[in-house]
Amino acid sequence: MAEEKDSNNNKPVVDADQIAKEFKEHSVAEFFKKNKQMLGLYGKIRTLTTVVHEYITNSLDACEEANILPDIEVKIEELGPEYYEVTVSDNGPGLNKETVGKALAQLLAGTKFHRMMQSRGQQGIGASGVTMLAQMTTGKPVKVISGTGKGKPFSLELTIDPKMNQPKMSNVKELDRPFKGLAVQAKLKGIIYRDTEQGPLEYLRRTAIANPHAQIKFADPTGQKFLFKRSANAIPKPPIAVKPHPKGVTVDEIVSFAKATDARKVASFLRNDFDRMGQKSIEEITKKVSFDLNKDPKQLSWEESEEIVKAFKEIDFIAPSADALRPIGEERIHKSLENIVEPEFLHVMTRKPSVYAGGFPFQVEVAIAYGGKSGRTVQGQEGQEKRLEIMRFANRTPLLFDAGTCAITKAVQTIDWKRYDIKDIETSPVTVLVNFISVYVPYTGAGKQAIADEEEVIEEIRLALMQTGRKAGNYISGKRREAEKQAKKKVFLKYATEVAIALNELTGKPVKTIEAKLHEIVLKRLKLEEKQEQKEIAEQNGKAEEEKKEGKGEEGKKEPAKKEEKKKGGKEKKGKSTFEKGGDE
Amino acid sequence: MKDSEVVKKLDGAGEDILKQINKGDNPSYELPVRTLGNIYFDTKSKTIKLGDKTSDRQFLNIAHTRKFMQTMLVAAEIKKIIAQKATVSIRDLYYALKHTIEGTEENTFEEQGESDPIIEDIEASLNLLREELHLAASSKGVIVGDMKIKDGKDTIDLNKMGSGGWGVPSNVEPDKIDIKDISAEYVLFIEKDAVWKRFNEDQFWKKNKCIIITGRGQPSRAERRLVQRLNNEFDLPVFALMDADPWGMYIYSVIKQGSISLSYSEEKLATPDTKYIGLTVKDVETFKIPKEVTIKLNNLDVKRLNEMKEYEWFKNKQWQDEFQLMKDKAIKLELEALSKKGIRFITEEYLPQKIKSKDFLP
Repeated sequence: MAEEKDSNNNKPVVDADQIAKEFKEHSVAEFFKKNKQMLGLYGKIRTLTTVVHEYITNSLDACEEANILPDIEVKIEELGPEYYEVTVSDNGPGLNKETVGKALAQLLAGTKFHRMMQSRGQQGIGASGVTMLAQMTTGKPVKVISGTGKGKPFSLELTIDPKMNQPKMSNVKELDRPFKGLAVQAKLKGIIYRDTEQGPLEYLRRTAIANPHAQIKFADPTGQKFLFKRSANAIPKPPIAVKPHPKGVTVDEIVSFAKATDARKVASFLRNDFDRMGQKSIEEITKKVSFDLNKDPKQLSWEESEEIVKAFKEIDFIAPSADALRPIGEERIHKSLENIVEPEFLHVMTRKPSVYAGGFPFQVEVAIAYGGKSGRTVQGQEGQEKRLEIMRFANRTPLLFDAGTCAITKAVQTIDWKRYDIKDIETSPVTVLVNFISVYVPYTGAGKQAIADEEEVIEEIRLALMQTGRKAGNYISGKRREAEKQAKKKVFLKYATEVAIALNELTGKPVKTIEAKLHEIVLKRLKLEEKQEQKEIAEQNGKAEEEKKEGKGEEGKKEPAKKEEKKKGGKEKKGKSTFEKGGDE
Repeated sequence: MKDSEVVKKLDGAGEDILKQINKGDNPSYELPVRTLGNIYFDTKSKTIKLGDKTSDRQFLNIAHTRKFMQTMLVAAEIKKIIAQKATVSIRDLYYALKHTIEGTEENTFEEQGESDPIIEDIEASLNLLREELHLAASSKGVIVGDMKIKDGKDTIDLNKMGSGGWGVPSNVEPDKIDIKDISAEYVLFIEKDAVWKRFNEDQFWKKNKCIIITGRGQPSRAERRLVQRLNNEFDLPVFALMDADPWGMYIYSVIKQGSISLSYSEEKLATPDTKYIGLTVKDVETFKIPKEVTIKLNNLDVKRLNEMKEYEWFKNKQWQDEFQLMKDKAIKLELEALSKKGIRFITEEYLPQKIKSKDFLP
């Protein structure tokens, strides 16, 4: 069932009703086994990364909701062949005895699933999935320590009753030592720790980049310790729920929304269940459709829904509210990448919110980092070499798998980087960061590792990349010119001595004198060339500015439905970005 | 030219560069361009000559700088060699100059192919002969015939050289090699060593009063210079005996008019009086040579043939007819193929008849 949904990108990937139905027919364990893939718990390396992801996500969400700056510690210990213990602890609000079972040992018990809100764990399936996995592979319960700040902290062990999908607590003890937050420990078999691009370390590094307000410590199975320091002290504003935007909504969605609504008339259904829908919009729709908007929405036919979609297309609406979206913010990404990637050059851009099919507001953030620790390190023929690194995020959650099918990868690949003077981006020390922000991310599969290639999504990412790419290109080509100049200088100078020795043989003049004179000539020439280049660059930039003014550039080609009310603050100055206000400060 | 004058020329070139350096200019060295585009056929001397196009080899040009450095090194090294009154081979020179540039992993020269053209550049730009630079190209040719050679203190009788012949030394200039007591009546320049051996074994030169010489394929400058001297100083006619294929005919053209890369000194190397005695495609008919010993022309042959048809010095009816016949029949013929008609056919029938009937190409 879930797999079938993969091809239908406009819809939530997992249909809750269907899952619930299937729940009744099978035991939880059976369901779990059948749907391990859907839960992202397959592949020996991937499973371990997924486990870390589920715990970290819960910790970050919990801390943010409780307005706490997250301090998270992750430890992975190897207990035997393909046998590991994963411990994640945070300083969050903790769970009380009533909720701990539901949160960590009951599948599909999450509360986030039906809210139109941007959040990390959308299906509330992860942490309990880990409990189930631990139980199935090692027979061991998950150990939990929780401290809410009220009453004594406690420890307990959790398993899931597979028949009833109910949490089973055991060994509940009150602790005498103080503890605030939640610590979870699971023992798992059939998994492997690897220090690769898809392993837990890289996952945590990227999580830290996307969550600069969090501090993350990690101890890997060899005992090596890593610390990703906090670079921002403000906790992101919690998101709010929003309704779908009328632009881009599909006919079948209107039909299904209409079936589910509490409204008695189509008019009130439209007004209540869609974003940016005022009385004036309703009046305009009334004029455009052939039926009475007072009719019962439950009776709305396919053809009538088509009329509504058509009307939506013709009417102007205010662009979707960005209030529900939580971009990381240009300044924070900037600080964060400087903190962790330490690039030579960095440019960050947060685009205005837009909307993709289904009326879901989304927003794109892009950063290009060059030099420093940017790029992926691979073992090449001549030692370590750098390759392009694409850091994909959906709502700040790193996407490590299924890169090939992801809209972000496709957008990066379809950019003609040569236009921005980035000659061979694949072999350049470049990190491209893309954070896709939406209340509902159109994942390609239940593993939640790739974003479907919605046309509007790709286009937005491309626009952001092009604008950021130009800035990066200017820097990189300047650097390349400098490198070429240095190489040239080296060549001339290395031959200068040989030439001087030969001329000494022919003329009798001292080698040192001739050599010094030759050095002078070389330096003079290179300075001259530099001046010439600067002149050319200045001329080129002048031209680019002209083009921009005449609207020839990519900017301004595409605008959201209507102008954003909020004014963007920043303007670019000399390749360094000045920052606009993120929505989360 | 005296050694002291040669050294003066080299020093002059160095002083010129130094002057530019002292002025703070980008030092450059002017060279004649030695490509097909800058040579012409001089109808007066009937040899290939170098045109007057020149190029500047600049120190501050990333594409020139290595060659500039190499040019300076070669010039300085030649000065040293002359001072030592030695003559060295161009391979010796390459090794003498090859070293790792300080602070790098790069060598001044990576292969002899880098230093050889630089030598030619210096010869051409200073208008000096290789011999005057005390450099010797390796020579590979052999010669026998009724004549005597005085080489230093030794006098060599070239009709008493046995089966191997006398190896032509690399320097055959008059101050080194004195030619005397010639009783031969013409020179036969044979392309291939194996065929030369047949002519020597059969004592062809004795019976026919001639000198036979081979350059073993494309002759080096010594063989060409020696033949030129025999032609110039003793009025001996020169006949070339080559394979009937574009390559053999091209070698003939080099002996007669000169080559592109040495165009600057062809007046000292080429022998415009040379005549082409054979083989020709026409011979196949005339001498009833069986079809099965001919070889089919390949694409490269045809390409080469078309190029040669356009050479100015081949623009006469006989050669154009021969080229056309070769194209039409699409065959070529090796000298050894005549053995099909008997081992001594070439020396006892083919050549005497050709000479008797004056069946030559110009």
